[in-house]
Amino acid sequence: MTPQPACAVLGLGNVLMHDDGFGPYAARSFGAAYEPHPDVAVVDVGTPGLDLVPYLMGYEIVIVLDTIRLDVAPGTMKVYGKPVLLNQPPKERLSPHDPGLAATLRLLELQGTAPREVVLVGVVPEAVNTQLGLSDAVLASVPDALSTVAAALTRLGRPVQRRAEPDAPDLWWLRPAPPSDFALSPPLSGR
Amino acid sequence: MSQRIVVDPVTRIEGHLRVDVEVDGGTVRNAWSSGTMWRGIELILEGRDPREAWLFTQRICGVCTTTHAIASVRAVENALGLEIPLNAQLIRNLILIAHAQHDHIVHFYHLSALDWVDVVSALKADPREAARIADSISEWPKNHWRELAAVRDKVQALVNSGQLGIFTNGYWGHPAMRLSPEVNLLATAHYLQALEYQRKANQVVAILGSKTPNIQNLAVGGVANAINLDNQATLNMTKLAHVRSLLDEVSQFVHQVYLPDVIAIGAMYPEWLGYGAGVTNYLAVPDLPLDTAGNTFDLPGGTIMNRDLGSYRRIATFNDEYFRDGVTESIAHAWYDGDWTRHPYEGETVPNYTGFEDNGRYSWIKAPRFNDQPMQVGPLAHVLVGYAAGDPLFRKYVDHALTTASSIAGTQIGVNALHSTLGRHLGRAIRANVLADLGPKHWQLLLDNIGSGDTTTFNDFEFPRGEIRGFGFHEAPRGALSHWVVIDDGAIKNYQTVVPSTWNAGPRDERNRLGPYEASLMANPVADPERPLEVVRTIHSFDPCIACAIHTQDVEGNEVSRVKVLGT
Repeated sequence: MTPQPACAVLGLGNVLMHDDGFGPYAARSFGAAYEPHPDVAVVDVGTPGLDLVPYLMGYEIVIVLDTIRLDVAPGTMKVYGKPVLLNQPPKERLSPHDPGLAATLRLLELQGTAPREVVLVGVVPEAVNTQLGLSDAVLASVPDALSTVAAALTRLGRPVQRRAEPDAPDLWWLRPAPPSDFALSPPLSGR
Repeated sequence: MSQRIVVDPVTRIEGHLRVDVEVDGGTVRNAWSSGTMWRGIELILEGRDPREAWLFTQRICGVCTTTHAIASVRAVENALGLEIPLNAQLIRNLILIAHAQHDHIVHFYHLSALDWVDVVSALKADPREAARIADSISEWPKNHWRELAAVRDKVQALVNSGQLGIFTNGYWGHPAMRLSPEVNLLATAHYLQALEYQRKANQVVAILGSKTPNIQNLAVGGVANAINLDNQATLNMTKLAHVRSLLDEVSQFVHQVYLPDVIAIGAMYPEWLGYGAGVTNYLAVPDLPLDTAGNTFDLPGGTIMNRDLGSYRRIATFNDEYFRDGVTESIAHAWYDGDWTRHPYEGETVPNYTGFEDNGRYSWIKAPRFNDQPMQVGPLAHVLVGYAAGDPLFRKYVDHALTTASSIAGTQIGVNALHSTLGRHLGRAIRANVLADLGPKHWQLLLDNIGSGDTTTFNDFEFPRGEIRGFGFHEAPRGALSHWVVIDDGAIKNYQTVVPSTWNAGPRDERNRLGPYEASLMANPVADPERPLEVVRTIHSFDPCIACAIHTQDVEGNEVSRVKVLGT
């Protein structure tokens, strides 16, 4: 097994829920726009609740891309550090999603395996409903969010370089549905 | 005067689960479960390629990713009448086993143990006495008193720091908390140790599924893992040996920590073996197929009606007609357009929000029914079905759990006690132990099959012209999950998911019969309406997974009070 990298860039959110897909969209875009760094894992983690543990436990630096709830214009970006996250009041647990980032961090703090540095790069969504793709406002915030992640990594001693030729990010959920008779001509097989 | 309690952490967009109870004389007299299961997955899948449906469905829920992926490929394979290679079945089975163990461990320790365990009381514990108690119920090597003393010191340091961190929201000192300081300390130590073991289970999923939390190795027709025992780039002997050692470590934790803990807590709160039965019709589907078609299984499925184990009726295969024809969903009390009860193949999802009305519509969750009956699903349903079917593994662990609990409690605890709030926790721990035995078995079956020279993992196929229909089920950690797909000329025409939390958390139906959450809350005691720990205990025992849809950080938000008490 390859050793675990010390840093992670995590995209949190649900790609089926419009602007909630910001985290996965931004994480995949970051991975495509910047040269891979052997010590930095870039992962679209979805909406894992406490299953975030494996993506935080034992890492030194974690940068999280996610939507934030704030009463300001959609697309506004804000950056938070670990102390602010740890100061959030815990919420009643009614589902496995409720222990979110803050609760998972607290749990790992107690166990002694929490990351030393956590940076949350948050963007305010315009709408969250069953729909693929981001709103224009949130989409416009993505380049800023990526530069912010790169700057944070650099500040924390893991400088990353923009690729000379950026890859196309694998945004599989945005591929259009095929035309209605796609399956039959030529005959559609398993792969 | 009766009081209405609303347990409603719903301050985030779209909301979560909301539970309303009416309490009179310290007892719950009426209950409503409301949730936001509005997803409309078919709106996204309509017209798409059925081969990629699983990629989308595994995003429905960030916790249950693997389960929705598996149910989806099974549904499309069922529509095609497609068998998959034995290697593919067994690799999928190993992923399902590891995922379920991970989920059960996390549910008990990190999502619900603090309903029963008072962490603050653990500070008063004598670690040597706690270790003595531990040794009387388990051989777990990490119950040494020094280990327990270190945990006590950690919690003490947290308290001294002036903030309780992860434990801030606990019901500490609540009159319904009744374990001794030593048992509280032991459980707190296991709470921390469990983090490591759920992670090991997760590693199995990562190795076989190529990645977590969203696995990448599935395909309609099999799995995408190439097998070559000597090749670095494929599923090889090194990776399989690693999988085995992880499975063994998780099994040891499940045998020596998880089950003894739940048995002990069950024996120390015997009254909770009397509350929370609710709907005692049970549904579980068979899983862990042993052949390429899904005709024989290691985990039995079936139904039990009205708590009568003698009423057991089997669900036999992936093509079972009793299951296929039995499932319907009612929207009589849900915020959808129309007023119908339909089979999932005919289902639709047209939202029509009209506000919360006690006697009208009050939930986004549809009310599933089986042959017109409300059903409870989940590990308890699975364990009772396995027990009724006479399955030797389920018999072994049920009998062991009940005998041990009886001896700790000093009173006879029989199978009937499982129809309860704590019965659901016991059921989950028993199921985890059954899976702990089956993990190494399926690992060996895979190795033997590869050893016989079979390295196939994928069967090719073509979609026919015209319409085909299929259903795929999976006995997921939270219970029976089914996906239903209608395919027309090779494209998806309709897609419906009937998920465990809709079976359990669904609202009243067209005949005003309560859903399982609602029914289970009736007659629960509530000592302090401001701190309705008892309501939370019963709801948590189902392992609710409702807020599947979104993830938004509420960093600067002000949490509205999570519990509201209203006079009525």
